Amino acid sequence: MIPMVLPDYYEFCCRVKIVTGHDTLEKIPDLLAGKGAKKPLIITDNGVAGAGLIDIVSRALQDRLAGTLIADNVPPDSDLRIVHQLAQLYRDNSCDAIIAVGGGSVMDTAKGVNIVVSENASDLMAFSGAGALKRPLKPLIAIPTTAGTGSEVTQVAVIKDHEKHLKMAFLSYFLLPDVSILDSRMTMTMPPFVTAMTGMDALSHAIEAYYCLQKNPLSDAHALSAVNMIYQYLPTVAQNPSDKNGRLAMSVGACLAGIAFSNSMTGIVHNLGHASGSVCGVPHGLAMAILLPYGLEYNMHKCEDTIARLLLPMAGEAVYLSTAKEQRAQKVVSLIRQLNEDLHKITDGRHARCFREVKDRESKPTVPREVLPQIAKAALLDGASIYNPEETDYEDNLMVLEAAWEGCPLERSKLKKG
Amino acid sequence: MRIVEVVRAGKKPFKRAYVGIFLWFTGRAIQAAATVDEQVRQEFASLPDDFTFSLGVLPDGPWMLIGKEKGRVKYLGGNPDGKHLHVRLAMKNIETAFLILSFQESTALATARNRLITEGEVPQALAMIRVMDIVEVYLLPKIIARLAVKRYPSWTFGRKVFGRIGIYTRALLGI
Amino acid sequence: MNPDSIFTFTCPVKTNSGNKALENLPIELSSLNAGKPLIVTNIGKVGRTAIRTLTGAFGDSGMTLGVFDGLADKVDPALIEQLRTTFIEEKYDSIIALGGGTIVDSAKVLNLAVSMKTADVQSLSAQTSIRKSLLPLVVVPTADATGLETSQLADLNGTILSSEYLAPGLVVIDPRLTRGKDGKTICATGLAALGLALDAHIGAEKNPFRKAYSVAAIHFIKENLPVAVRNPDDKKATLAVINAAAMSGCAFSIADAAPLHKLGQVFQEVHNIHPGIIMGMCLPHILGDYLNQGRNDLSSLLHPLTGDDEFTQTPEAQRARAAVAVLNYFTADLYSALGKDMPQTLKEAGVPPYVMEDILEVLDADQNGVYLHTVVERIQDKTPVAERKG
Repeated sequence: MIPMVLPDYYEFCCRVKIVTGHDTLEKIPDLLAGKGAKKPLIITDNGVAGAGLIDIVSRALQDRLAGTLIADNVPPDSDLRIVHQLAQLYRDNSCDAIIAVGGGSVMDTAKGVNIVVSENASDLMAFSGAGALKRPLKPLIAIPTTAGTGSEVTQVAVIKDHEKHLKMAFLSYFLLPDVSILDSRMTMTMPPFVTAMTGMDALSHAIEAYYCLQKNPLSDAHALSAVNMIYQYLPTVAQNPSDKNGRLAMSVGACLAGIAFSNSMTGIVHNLGHASGSVCGVPHGLAMAILLPYGLEYNMHKCEDTIARLLLPMAGEAVYLSTAKEQRAQKVVSLIRQLNEDLHKITDGRHARCFREVKDRESKPTVPREVLPQIAKAALLDGASIYNPEETDYEDNLMVLEAAWEGCPLERSKLKKG
Repeated sequence: MRIVEVVRAGKKPFKRAYVGIFLWFTGRAIQAAATVDEQVRQEFASLPDDFTFSLGVLPDGPWMLIGKEKGRVKYLGGNPDGKHLHVRLAMKNIETAFLILSFQESTALATARNRLITEGEVPQALAMIRVMDIVEVYLLPKIIARLAVKRYPSWTFGRKVFGRIGIYTRALLGI
Repeated sequence: MNPDSIFTFTCPVKTNSGNKALENLPIELSSLNAGKPLIVTNIGKVGRTAIRTLTGAFGDSGMTLGVFDGLADKVDPALIEQLRTTFIEEKYDSIIALGGGTIVDSAKVLNLAVSMKTADVQSLSAQTSIRKSLLPLVVVPTADATGLETSQLADLNGTILSSEYLAPGLVVIDPRLTRGKDGKTICATGLAALGLALDAHIGAEKNPFRKAYSVAAIHFIKENLPVAVRNPDDKKATLAVINAAAMSGCAFSIADAAPLHKLGQVFQEVHNIHPGIIMGMCLPHILGDYLNQGRNDLSSLLHPLTGDDEFTQTPEAQRARAAVAVLNYFTADLYSALGKDMPQTLKEAGVPPYVMEDILEVLDADQNGVYLHTVVERIQDKTPVAERKG
């Protein structure tokens, strides 16, 4: 066995209180009281509200926090204007805490609002970058409705300034929510396509966290546990959306994955995924699903042993015992490809297996082949490449993107190995 | 009761001096590389005309500044005061700086070990990291450079030899 | 995962570990809005070199620090009240505890005293309400630790204070401070960490967030303690053991039955003996009892102890027994490496009979007291109980 490696130096932090179960929303009033708060602002989007999830939250708060203010106008992409608008709403109503109910964009917006109201800031930009926040913010409770982005346990928020075409990134331990509530009721309404996509997002977090340069024993322990839960429950839950235990397990897995990658960072999969999102609008989770096997193939020559370690937690003992040692890493890759296949079938073809298959709502292809060079170039501007085990330049990016477009395995013999 | 003893933090003059010299030389080498190496030239060409970059040590230096002036890339000395910086790579303390600049930790590994704080727009910071990697390949023998960069590039013999001579000469002469 | 229960986990502690970790203290403190820390320690336990290494790490930062090296072996409320006065008068804004065990307990109590404006430390009790953040507290462990440094507990001479706000915000594990002591010290530390991790792992609920910490701790102890005990100067092995100690404290929760922790804590309180020494003695007995109770959760222990191959090749029905066997072999190996240095019974540890009475009295007050009593009887000396009673 390869023992857990203690790096020469590492840092690890996850200060979030995580409350997990089938009926945990009801704990919110006590949790707020513990932080000295009693007038929260609920921040969400109209998708979540439309699915009836806010009603569930309101009912859980009813006795203790009647009349809680709800703002459900967060757009699919976090927006600076909305951040300032919600901050004003918070101030006008003398709120003293924030409850974020939703996916990545809602979480980012809520974190942005928290910076503005806590620091009394008129210019959010002044706090961008790392280390700009110096003290704790107002109480923030995060309730994810996907499984998921892991944003309920990350120290990052990304807010877009659509007027200036800027993306502001905020990195600080003070952005970690005080509490994260994983309640199975919150993810029950996700249709199979969204379940598949967000589940693969979570899996990619766990796997990239496990092989990237900033990995450490604690992020490893969280990542392996995440991989185990997500791989086991994702197909089940995509097929049986009302499986309560499965939904909760997926939420836990996504949260573990969030803790892992928040501390260990991500690599080429996120690098190219962000770029394909910003150039073509490929949904994040879908890009992760498509690129994940390629990220493993690309980095294989640098960390084959590490990748092989994923087999047992992922696939279980029977598969592990029947796979020869030298084949284990490659087996991990083929199992992920198979998972994508299975999800493709379960979602009646909506879960794309390669970029060629990605279609928008009008069934038009989202990623024309001619656009790949643009994506390869855009990826050079994204910081996730820093933590990838192997160097990536324009040619490397293009090679991976082309293989991911076609849906055929990466030709590893053509990789530059330094 | 025993007294609480008040201790003022000491100094680390030798490590400071080593780091200071290395930063000075690296700054001049980057200036030289911008003339000698096509890839470095292109990296700077895509940056704003008044682009300024600083690499150094918290809390109090030493620092090294690089900037674009009238299309030329110049080493701007070691004083960041009053300058508007587009990108700043700050090593968290003098010990860390010594680890990095004596090549015990590569830039990539140092980043992975949270040794650096990166401020500024990410694409511009990445460009500077790429520039520094290239300069390290020029300045260092392969056996050391391999530890300093993630993937040792395969350059032509000419590029490596003539580039190395050009950069060393220009860096030492300050041109 | 037990789908019927609600479980909660929080770990307020940030971990910085490795080469030159101490040198990041200025910037870490600055990010916590602190710039004038008071270092508290017990020079008898940590030694002058460790203190100098710590203060030296602030070199070039321009900061001013306070150093108090006169903490007693037990938590001294009167002393803490005096320190509190100095802390407030001299306008310190953070605390760094150098060392482990009661040093950190003292630091936690001091933090409570200065943050809550409590002048009367004696009045603190288990019922004291600790409902908001205290000042920044950093723990810098040495080779002599109990694992509880990073926990949410503070032991005020038998009164256990428990709150998430008591846990340090940061633990800095630097190999310069974790190596160099003797084999017995690191062994006791490792066994205490193992005990806490096992208590957390076999705890009542299946909590994957806690297990991440307990699994990592168990693994590091198993892989590194035998090396560290034989060579206490080994940088990597000792660093790993202290990492495990920090992780075990993060995993540990007072809500668990925690027999190993309870026994260690009682003996430390009444007789000032390192809890790890006691836990080492109790481990085979408690594990044997778990096996006899048919506790299946022991089988998952085999994985962090042996790794993928051995785990998968052991039939499922045999894993619990195999895990216990591995642990028994592990502790036996440590004792054989240390010989007479490490007592294997209370008799060898020199615990006199009159102390035993006090210990049993404290245990009887515990909800699990009857069981714990039986364990204490079995670790008295090597003669089996039946024969003794004969």
